[in-house]
Amino acid sequence: MEQEKEMTGHESLELIASMIQRTRRDYLDSGLSALLWGSVISFCSLAAYLNQVAWHIPRFDYIWFLTFAAVIPQVIIAVREAKARKIKTYEEGYMGGIWISFAIAVFLLNFIFARYNSEAQAAIYLMLYGVPTFATGYSRRFAPMLIGGIACWGFAVLSLYVGYPNTLLCITGGALIAWFIPGLILRRRYLNAKKTHV
Amino acid sequence: MFKDLNPILHSQLRLAVISILISVKEAEFTYLREKTDATAGNLSVQINKLKEAGYIDVTKSFKDNYPQTICKITPQGIQAFEEYVRDLQAYLNIKK
Repeated sequence: MEQEKEMTGHESLELIASMIQRTRRDYLDSGLSALLWGSVISFCSLAAYLNQVAWHIPRFDYIWFLTFAAVIPQVIIAVREAKARKIKTYEEGYMGGIWISFAIAVFLLNFIFARYNSEAQAAIYLMLYGVPTFATGYSRRFAPMLIGGIACWGFAVLSLYVGYPNTLLCITGGALIAWFIPGLILRRRYLNAKKTHV
Repeated sequence: MFKDLNPILHSQLRLAVISILISVKEAEFTYLREKTDATAGNLSVQINKLKEAGYIDVTKSFKDNYPQTICKITPQGIQAFEEYVRDLQAYLNIKK
């Protein structure tokens, strides 16, 4: 690009639009975090359900500890992405705040439910899953996550009527629709965008 | 009569840089170079002009033992950019 090229008014507007457009393409989410949590939560809840109805393995509930283990790859993904990123957006600050507060709330809920067992556990988890998912979909105008957030709330209501262990299937459905499927879509978009302008 | 377009912004490379910075919180120098296809020297000069005008803040630091320059638009830069776009629209409307 030349430094002092004389531009017409139209050329100036085109340049502004093209630069904003090019930059916008670079804040695409890699989809890895959504895929990670979508797979872990749906796997754990589905396995817990199958154990209740078919396998009957004692102490199988420990499978949920996988969600704690998944924090390690999540931290690795976050650090790698932060290192590779050459721009910071205002949006990632707000979104980061929402997802961190969500993670803390889920972590605390585990302690609350360990002390006070509740039949509405699945509903409360699902209601909470819906909040950051819907907020992310809303702020990014990303329909799959908007739908995912609404699906979580729908499954939260449904889980109040189906009884345990079917509530576990509600969690599986919520995690798949809220995170796994949007994660796949985001991943595909991200890889396509990378391929088109290396 | 339309107002004269801001000469600091009415330059291809400086306008490209400010258009990138208006849409993000901050950007690395290497990112700006990549997006504008400018040479490092040329970009440095234009960034300095924007900095001298008070339109951007430039922070130099180190990342993984490599020097890192981060650019961020200032409130004055945002105002100048908005005025520039308004003037540009007025200018184009008069020309129609």
